[in-house]
Amino acid sequence: MSSTTVAPPRWALKAEGLGRIYGVQGPESLDGTGPDFGTAVSPATGAVVAAWDIGFEVEPGEALGIIGESGSGKSTVMRCIAGDETATAGRIALRGVGHGAVNIRELDPPARRKLRLDQIAVVYQDPAAGLNLDVTAGGNIADPLTAAGWRSYQRIRDRAADLLRRVEVPLSRMDDLARTFSGGMRQRVQIARALANEPPVLLLDEPTTGLDASVAAGVLDLLRTLLEETGVAAVVVSHDFGVIDMLTRRVVVMRHGRIVESGLTDQLLEDPQHPYSQQLVAAARG
Amino acid sequence: MTAQLTTELAGPPPSPGIFDELSKREIRRAMLSGIAIPGYQVPFGSREMPVARGWGSGGLQATLSLVGEDSRLKVIDQGEDAGVNASNLRRLVAAHAGCTEETDTRSADIIQSRHRIPEQPLRDGQVLVLQVPGAEPLAGIVRDMDEQRRMHAEADYSKMWVRLYEDIVHNGLITEAAGYPVLVEGRYIMTPSPIPRWDVPKMNDSEAITVLSAGREKRIFAVPPHTRVVPLTFDDRPFEVERTPGAACRLCGSQDTYIVQEPGPDGTFSAWVCSDTDFCRRRRTGDAPAAPAAGGTAQGGTA
Amino acid sequence: MTSPQHTAPPPAPPAGVPAGSVLSVRALRKDFTLHTIDGRVVDALNGVDLDVAPGEHVALAGTSGAGKSTLLRCVYRTYLSGGGAIWFRTSGGHLVDVATLSDAEIVGLRGREFGYVSQFLRPQPRRSVLDIVSSAGVARGMAREAARDAAAAALRQVDIAERLWDMHATVLSGGQKQRVNIAAGTIAPPRLLLLDEPVSALDPANRAAVLDLIARLEETGTAVLSVFHDLDAIERLATRVVVLGRGRVVATGRPGDILRDPNLPLEVAR
Repeated sequence: MSSTTVAPPRWALKAEGLGRIYGVQGPESLDGTGPDFGTAVSPATGAVVAAWDIGFEVEPGEALGIIGESGSGKSTVMRCIAGDETATAGRIALRGVGHGAVNIRELDPPARRKLRLDQIAVVYQDPAAGLNLDVTAGGNIADPLTAAGWRSYQRIRDRAADLLRRVEVPLSRMDDLARTFSGGMRQRVQIARALANEPPVLLLDEPTTGLDASVAAGVLDLLRTLLEETGVAAVVVSHDFGVIDMLTRRVVVMRHGRIVESGLTDQLLEDPQHPYSQQLVAAARG
Repeated sequence: MTAQLTTELAGPPPSPGIFDELSKREIRRAMLSGIAIPGYQVPFGSREMPVARGWGSGGLQATLSLVGEDSRLKVIDQGEDAGVNASNLRRLVAAHAGCTEETDTRSADIIQSRHRIPEQPLRDGQVLVLQVPGAEPLAGIVRDMDEQRRMHAEADYSKMWVRLYEDIVHNGLITEAAGYPVLVEGRYIMTPSPIPRWDVPKMNDSEAITVLSAGREKRIFAVPPHTRVVPLTFDDRPFEVERTPGAACRLCGSQDTYIVQEPGPDGTFSAWVCSDTDFCRRRRTGDAPAAPAAGGTAQGGTA
Repeated sequence: MTSPQHTAPPPAPPAGVPAGSVLSVRALRKDFTLHTIDGRVVDALNGVDLDVAPGEHVALAGTSGAGKSTLLRCVYRTYLSGGGAIWFRTSGGHLVDVATLSDAEIVGLRGREFGYVSQFLRPQPRRSVLDIVSSAGVARGMAREAARDAAAAALRQVDIAERLWDMHATVLSGGQKQRVNIAAGTIAPPRLLLLDEPVSALDPANRAAVLDLIARLEETGTAVLSVFHDLDAIERLATRVVVLGRGRVVATGRPGDILRDPNLPLEVAR
């Protein structure tokens, strides 16, 4: 580190020129792909341009939505930020890592995984992806806590109980295996686990998709409250305008691996500009 | 010149039968790597031995690589010098290397053991070779061996901690008995081979070198002298060794040694005896420090 | 990307923006390109100029479709302008162009400086009445406890019974929702309050209470830009009336003069 101090940026997460290509890298794979061509598959090389030139900033206490249909690349973007996948181009920076001066895309895999301890947490659509179903609810929360160095059984219990209370899981179920929980309850446990080490960045990948409507509503309410209370910077990936409308103030629309429009969430719903956004909104309005 | 060098490298002419000098050299290299990185599992090319894998073949290879004509070798099985397996291994090595058979822990240079560490504190210059049936402490936690290696490489041990947490949740305490997981020098989690909890603290800051060798899994790891070996437990759940209040060895009366129940004539288990037969003999002949007024006694399973 | 994402500071304000104004709309245009209907373009605003000073209440009038709500929404940035400028003077004294400000900055402005009350505003689902109003206060910089007290006072003022405060706003009647919106829009008075038919769903008694509340805002220096369905409200509250016709300003003046002008295209029969 140099002796000059770098002022921390306002944002907690920033993506710039983020790209993920499966297959031949390089400009020849980009031609003929994107929303203007109606495909993410390069006619020249057959490479899949799952995401390209993706950029946004998210500030603490703010939630940004990424909306698009399946195959639009929104989940790819999320996985690249989470480190579940490695982006092939661009820059991802976190305020919590070198005051945002580090491109975490270029960190080696162990360093990247360490970020998942206390910098980035993810809530997956499928609770089985974020939880060990053969471990108790409390044990699933103990995992990130022990990884962060917690070594007191009682303090771990207390912290897990606190978190379960916050996500409205009855404490009587703390010592039940996650496998015995309903879908909505599993999702709540996954959220509690994600918040365990108070990460500054939280990624939510279709957090309520697959849940019954009434259950999904409860989880959404919980997420909204948590996003407001924790000051976390959140990215919400969803195909559902209802979810995006409820949780976010700003949104980007993705199609065929590119951002076609970005704006305020209410503006995007009331005055969408891009033909595809208008289509999406019209479909959502039924 | 080259021929001479090769001869020198090869060392003394191979003893007939069991183990060639180059193989011993490879094992010694693995042991040195293990000593350099305490607790790290070093792969080695495990050879076929005249004992079946799982019957001390790993320990035998380590011992054969260390032993010399002037060595004094002690081999115990569950603390007993006279066990069939222990006697056979001791005779086998003595015949191969021309070393002296020994039962007194104090006089032994090399002690090969299955599932025990002697009661007599080990001293500088001694090597304890432990036979290891399962080298991987993470085996019961993740199945994928690449993932196990990654977890060791990154000291990513939260899943092990979760297992201990779950154990307390379900059973009120950590039930892990033999092979209690330990953290070596603050870095690697290691299984100390299936020794009882009673023996685990003996590994910490020991004067002797401990070599752990798994023939079947082809891995060697080691604890050099004066290394921190800490059983994994939560700060508010102190590590406890086995104890049966009031029980004592029926032969020497010790209450401060690891004792096991022996079967009576009717097949039921009743009387307690020391697991370490050498130490028990010394207690009986007054050749060992007397038992302190202990509040409890170590209690093991049945021998 | 089609929406503006300017991070550079907005250009210097042109001459002609009054030093004291909170809001100065200049040559504002808005049209809608309906890509789902063969790319049809619908004109909404064709160059609107408008100023609102602190403590001033400017009411928009005109027939349905004249562009009144569109103008409000452009100022709030629910609609993206198609040209012109929307100068807003922040409480810090900075002049910013709402039409081109970054989304993130608009989010900040909305929380701190703008109030918006619309009959079309849906309350957030499954959120308590008191919570909705007090979080508006928190967004405008009040401490959480103070905001709760202020929210309680505001709800009493618009006659929302205390037993409703912990209920979800979505279960309230249209008139009750409207009053909750008013309470949220006027708590910790914003610098600029945008009102889109705020009393249209209210019975006479509540209508009077809400109009009183709005009238008192002038004393706090809040600038108000409003659309009212009924001319009585305009007459009572507005300091100035701006009449829109086909997306342009066709007349401006004092309420007494404008509302009695038989030649102006006003929506409601006098």
